[in-house]
Amino acid sequence: MFETLNQPVDVLTVYLEGRLRPLRFRWKGRVVRVKRVTGEWSRREGSHRLAYFSVEGPGAETYELCYDPRGPSWTLCKAWSG
Amino acid sequence: MILLVDMDAFFASVEQLHHPGLRGKPLIVCGDPQRRGVVTAASYEARPFGVHAGMPLQEARRLCPQASFVEGNPEKYVALSLRLLDLYLEFTPDVEPFSVDEAFLAVSGRGATLEGAVEIARSIQRAVDERLGLGATIGVGPNKLIAKMATGVHKPRGLTAMSPEDFRRWFWPREVRELWGVGPKLAERLNALGIVTVGDLARAAPASLEGAFGVIGPQLREAASGHDETPLVPYHRGVDPKSMGHEVTLPEDSDEADYLQGTLLRLSDQVGRRLRSEGFRGRVVALKLRDRDFVTHLRQTTLPHFTDDHREIFQNACRLWRTLWKGGEVRLLGVTVAGLEPAEKASQAELFTTHTRDGLLRDATDRVRDRLGESSLVPAGALTGRSRMSHVPFGPLTKSWKPPAS
Repeated sequence: MFETLNQPVDVLTVYLEGRLRPLRFRWKGRVVRVKRVTGEWSRREGSHRLAYFSVEGPGAETYELCYDPRGPSWTLCKAWSG
Repeated sequence: MILLVDMDAFFASVEQLHHPGLRGKPLIVCGDPQRRGVVTAASYEARPFGVHAGMPLQEARRLCPQASFVEGNPEKYVALSLRLLDLYLEFTPDVEPFSVDEAFLAVSGRGATLEGAVEIARSIQRAVDERLGLGATIGVGPNKLIAKMATGVHKPRGLTAMSPEDFRRWFWPREVRELWGVGPKLAERLNALGIVTVGDLARAAPASLEGAFGVIGPQLREAASGHDETPLVPYHRGVDPKSMGHEVTLPEDSDEADYLQGTLLRLSDQVGRRLRSEGFRGRVVALKLRDRDFVTHLRQTTLPHFTDDHREIFQNACRLWRTLWKGGEVRLLGVTVAGLEPAEKASQAELFTTHTRDGLLRDATDRVRDRLGESSLVPAGALTGRSRMSHVPFGPLTKSWKPPAS
């Protein structure tokens, strides 16, 4: 089931070969480890480009994270838990 | 040789790629699943239940209640489509995107023969699967028509190569509506003339076809014979769009004039904005209206000059709407501007009709939106009934819909 959240989250990231990758994020008081980035895309909002990531958590659940360079800030947009 | 690479259930496959837990399960891509609308795409697992693109969501839910309903996200699909184009360019420089999930490729050298082209097609299928985790069906033929029609023979992950002789053997006994470009209405007209199969059309007298269908009559006959000389236009050379439009399925059928007009203003604003951002102006404004019985009405008007101004598009869309709308409930509205020319060329023709003050205002509002986003400024009239508005998908209307000839 998909849940729309749009909640601000703290994300631990790394720049790997010049690309931003989320590694872990804190949500509902726990740290979710990103097992795999399953997709990425971007969306222009005015003069800024927001980066989106579909990521898989440790239990095969998936999340959609958004990086907004204006903050900079991260948002957990959606969660899917099967 | 020409290849047509057609991604299998592209939108649904991308969602399954992004959400591994959905793989192998029925999945339906749509607008906001909480609102009504139509199926944008169905995964291959949902299709045996009778679900297909264009079907009302309500019906899809009834046929396949166990499916996951996912809100489509055009940016996701475009991002993958661009990666696919990069991948194709590793095989040939001649790539023509045909839609977000289809592309024509021209292959030469070892690809000059059907066998060589098939080998290249296999390599492309393998690369698409290994690098992106997606399935592709490829049609191979000596021209675009045969390549396109060959993709329909075996799906998903199909690979069909056809010579002109294979084309005739396979398609001539089949119904004429299977020919690329022949829609249900044209098929009916052909049937009325006794032309039932593709082979009948290929053997029909050119004069009688011309008499019944004008210049397209002989073209149809050529197509039925597997002849097609349409050139492949590599995308790096660019092809100007012929039209730009937006359409929206309303959250509920509505017969409220203010609300419908507000929706038209919002659509016109989006079309105008897109024309300006991509540097085009058009002379034909077309309106699409679908009533509660799913009957679609199309009407268009030709302006005396080119425009990219949302107010002018709106005024004309409203005029068309008043002639089409008889007060009944409306399900869908769409606004399209066609007859496009690059803005620079169009403005030369409009040298003495440019409204400088309006133009400056448009430029200023465009700059605000460029910087702060599309929702930072909207025409006030477009907010009528805002709480009930569903989202408006971006992108042109489907290829199958073109403004009717006036």
